Amino acid sequence: MNWSRSKGGPGHDPFQKRFRPGEDLVVWFLLAMASLAIVVSATIIYTLVDGSYDFFTDSRVNIFDFFTGSDWMPNGMDPKFGILPLVQGTILIAGGALLIGGPLGIAAAVYLSEFAHRRVRMVAKPVLEILAGIPSIVYGFFALLVISPFLREYFDADYFNAAAAIIVMAVMVLPIIVSVSDDSMKAVPKHMREASLAMGATKWETATRVVMPAASSGIMASVLLGLARAIGETMVVALAAGSVAKGGWNIFGEHMTMTSYIAQVATGDIPPGVGMQAAFAVGLVLFGMTYIVNSLAARIVLRIKRGKGPSGKGPINKVLREIRPVARVRFIISETWIDLTDRLKRDSKRTSVLGRHIKERVGRAVLSISLIIAVAFLGFLLYTVFVQGYRGLSWEFLTNPLSWKPEKAGIKVVIQGSVYLVLLTMVFTLPVGVGAAIYLNEFARETRFNVFLRRVIQNLAGVPSIVFGLVGLMLFVRTLHFGLSLLSGSLTLSIMVLPVIIVTSEEALRSVPQTFREAARGLGATKWQTVWHHVLPNAVPGILTGSILGLSRAIGETAPILFIASFYSKVAPSSIFDGFVALPINIFYWTKNPSHEFQDLAATTILVLLVILLSMNALAIVIRQRAQSRRQW
Amino acid sequence: MFGILGSTKRSPKGLDDKSVASGGQAEDGAIRLRNVNIHYGSNHAVKDVSMDIQNKKVTAFIGPSGCGKSTLLRALNRMNDEIDGCRTEGEIILRGTNVLGKRIDPVALRTKVGMVFQKPNPFPKSIYDNVAYGPKIHGMRKRRSLDERVELSLKRAALWDEVKDRLHESAMGLSGGQQQRLCIARALAVEPEIILMDEPCSALDPIATSKIEDLIFELKKNYTVIIVTHNMQQAARVSDYAGFMYLGELIEFGPTKQIFENPKNKLTENYITGRFG
Repeated sequence: MNWSRSKGGPGHDPFQKRFRPGEDLVVWFLLAMASLAIVVSATIIYTLVDGSYDFFTDSRVNIFDFFTGSDWMPNGMDPKFGILPLVQGTILIAGGALLIGGPLGIAAAVYLSEFAHRRVRMVAKPVLEILAGIPSIVYGFFALLVISPFLREYFDADYFNAAAAIIVMAVMVLPIIVSVSDDSMKAVPKHMREASLAMGATKWETATRVVMPAASSGIMASVLLGLARAIGETMVVALAAGSVAKGGWNIFGEHMTMTSYIAQVATGDIPPGVGMQAAFAVGLVLFGMTYIVNSLAARIVLRIKRGKGPSGKGPINKVLREIRPVARVRFIISETWIDLTDRLKRDSKRTSVLGRHIKERVGRAVLSISLIIAVAFLGFLLYTVFVQGYRGLSWEFLTNPLSWKPEKAGIKVVIQGSVYLVLLTMVFTLPVGVGAAIYLNEFARETRFNVFLRRVIQNLAGVPSIVFGLVGLMLFVRTLHFGLSLLSGSLTLSIMVLPVIIVTSEEALRSVPQTFREAARGLGATKWQTVWHHVLPNAVPGILTGSILGLSRAIGETAPILFIASFYSKVAPSSIFDGFVALPINIFYWTKNPSHEFQDLAATTILVLLVILLSMNALAIVIRQRAQSRRQW
Repeated sequence: MFGILGSTKRSPKGLDDKSVASGGQAEDGAIRLRNVNIHYGSNHAVKDVSMDIQNKKVTAFIGPSGCGKSTLLRALNRMNDEIDGCRTEGEIILRGTNVLGKRIDPVALRTKVGMVFQKPNPFPKSIYDNVAYGPKIHGMRKRRSLDERVELSLKRAALWDEVKDRLHESAMGLSGGQQQRLCIARALAVEPEIILMDEPCSALDPIATSKIEDLIFELKKNYTVIIVTHNMQQAARVSDYAGFMYLGELIEFGPTKQIFENPKNKLTENYITGRFG
């Protein structure tokens, strides 16, 4: 093993750069996978802008009226397109949901982070995870068929009303608000709590005056993320809030939001033409709104991670700079010992120690109520669905084809459609998502391009699902001529879950110890050899777990495939170019059906969907636990 | 097989050796460093280090933590390439080639400059697979040659007798000291010329440490060993040459005996005698 220069003849350098075509090819391939996210994002923007352009150049449309008009009448001879009622509906419902869900979520987070016993956490965390995992179509069913009748009875509400949607969406935004707030409060250093407690502050005083102000920007971010989720939510409003854009602020009346208009177009209630084109303009506004809210939240989160103030230029940072001093002043005030002792002295003059303890008890109880509400809501939801649906469960129901007669109807083709859809989605997203994650985590350096790429992926994750529906329709159905087929549907779902798969795969790759990489690199393994031999094998369980959770989101999604799925297909698809129907789509149409028998069947279908979701999650948990028990590092 | 006997007589590349900290006879140097500067972002971690490291000797880098000794060590097989924002300037000459050059392949370099890390870091695989991994990726396919290489490497790392009956059991079941010797065997299996050791004993107990030290003593018959250590006694015990680094600069470099018994620089003396403020 002589490695001197003479070995390779004159001029041969022992360490000369070797040509490794395989290695380069792999890296380019992975880069291409990751860059697909950019292509998808560009396609989304192009689709919306292109569609909006066609809409605005139509002779019946005036761009000025669109943004300022207060009449939305897309049908008829003289259609009117003033988006204000839709924006109003969106603000009313999303804002209302946040007004209820925000305080509830923050209260639950404070309770979990500062007061709750370990056992309470062990119950509360899974409950919140289940609430986050239940498909929005199920919430929609609950809003229309359980909450709405109650409101009609006691508040004289319309059949379709905003209040039902608000109540249900308040619960839907809980998980994200609780988890982000909880994280930011846990990040408050322990010594700050100890300093406060050591001065004789009660836990309640510590939580409200030290911890909460210190975590205020994280709490704000959590509320913004909840808001973005509420603005983009489609199925609940499409089912429960109605289909007339009346405007006004009556929460017991009908309202239409931006998302529910697009859904209306998707279900074919709006005839093709300018009304259909309007969906793109509405989609563009929706996209812009969620983008702003999401990036505001993302910047706050990023800032907390880095521990820095906003430094960049641009409108968002300007707003942040305005917000920052307020938070900081409150933070400093509460952190200053003298100030706090002063307050405590004042308090103790006014109230006895006993009084402060009573205050603590009461405060604690109030906070815990929010968790009880969440648990009760989940219990009630599952209970009502079960009661309404269990009678429909039978072998015939699972194996019969769809029918117009409720007593004959079965969901065999629906289950098949959903299964094929998810399998195809897996085939499309897994290689791309894992490849992109490998590129980002193992190969990407902090170049401008890669920073940009990460941001694109993050933004993609925040795009409302109904917008993916518009994009899928234009790109796969029309441009690529895949038609209203299984292929189009699964590709649409694929671009939607791609960010989820990338993010979870990256997490799995990150959890592989750095020492493995160093050891292999130190032995002269190339980067790709290191990844292939050591990183990937150890990350497989994590990738699988994350992917299953991502796919379980795909199986419950309704909005993106609302344009593509055909409810009337009576046979299962026999090729990827056939039409299909999926479980959530079926639930949507049966819930909307005025006949009680079909509404009951919707509940039964929900049970089937929930069982499938539950088994997918159980599978993910089993894989995770097996991997953890076998893991040697 | 491990020899470099045929290639030791190489003419130096006409470099100016006057200002170079030298451990001894310069012409035979295994590695020659010239004006090496390393930056981490804005942090100047290694400042203008020049030295000649001797062939088949043990050279120790000593100094307080954060002085740049590990960074310098990692420059020798370009492990710093893996760190974002790390820039290395100057020349590190190995067999007449500047390994910092743009056209140098770090992967090829590392087959000749092996590395043992601070914490034992075996792969979560069998003992056999750990040692055979290096030869495999460098193209050794035949089972028999692999078997031979594994046995030889484990013997050289003084681990063979302890593991020969359980080669196919997980490496994670070994004790910390055994794991570190396995990592040395794994590095040896690639047949390097030079072995870099970054505080190889800092995670081990005294008994395991003394075994590794004995091993280092054996290794220098065939290899050039460069070791980074916090432990002054260890440096005194195992090394032939020692370099004292402080705040990124190489303060003094020479035979270990001289550094420890008769340091020329006041800083070195203060550090050696424990009078460091």
